Amino acid sequence: MKIEKYTAGFGLSLIVTSLLNAVILLLKETNEGIMNGMKAALGHHWTTHGVLVIVLFVVLGFVFSGTKMGEKWDSRKLLTCIIWAVIIGGVVIAGFFLPHLKGA
Amino acid sequence: MSIQVQMMLHVGFGVLGILLAVALFVDVLNVSEKNMERIKKLSVAVAVFIFLSYLIGGYWYVVHYGTDRAIIKAGQWAWAHNYFMEVKEHVFFLMLILSIYLPIAVYRNVPLTEKGNRSLVLGIAALIVLLGLFMEGAGAIIGKGVTMGLMGR
Repeated sequence: MKIEKYTAGFGLSLIVTSLLNAVILLLKETNEGIMNGMKAALGHHWTTHGVLVIVLFVVLGFVFSGTKMGEKWDSRKLLTCIIWAVIIGGVVIAGFFLPHLKGA
Repeated sequence: MSIQVQMMLHVGFGVLGILLAVALFVDVLNVSEKNMERIKKLSVAVAVFIFLSYLIGGYWYVVHYGTDRAIIKAGQWAWAHNYFMEVKEHVFFLMLILSIYLPIAVYRNVPLTEKGNRSLVLGIAALIVLLGLFMEGAGAIIGKGVTMGLMGR
């Protein structure tokens, strides 16, 4: 069944942003320049990270809603991709910090 | 506003968001014209409460958490910060955008009586609840980390 354009657009944005959230984490934690830039931007790297995630989600949502992807996707396919994106994004974050768990 | 009140509001709004996501899940399982309005209100409430939890918790984290972090890292539960806080503060963004997306899926992807549309909303609500439970558990471990640090253990 054809999916409504904003549901599809923001759903795809959710998928992309979930993965980009993990990519931003890896970049800032492994590159001091990026970390310092994010600290300088809004006073704290986490604040900048959060604003980036929200802005990306909203902007990409409207961009994807303007395409015709809703005609190619259905709700089940969208949900499957969202679940996998959240799992992959979450596992990358949890896995990256795993060495810090020593001593537990 | 005291830092204790800020922390209680952060946790309180988060718990309310999770509970309302559970209520929405049950309502969507039994969706009909009678409860459609309530489902819409619940979806907005989940987004609002999780966003409020993000704003208040974020403010507390940026302004006040430094002291607690030093205490935790000096104790034997340093991993409570090094692992659980680091993971929590970044995985939270997933829960945040899922919560913002929830009302979009409820309001726009109609009718919810259609199986695929219903599954999408159920899946989003379930992810919010599961991530929310992780947030609560991680928060408890971080709090215990402060206690362990203060006890000199």
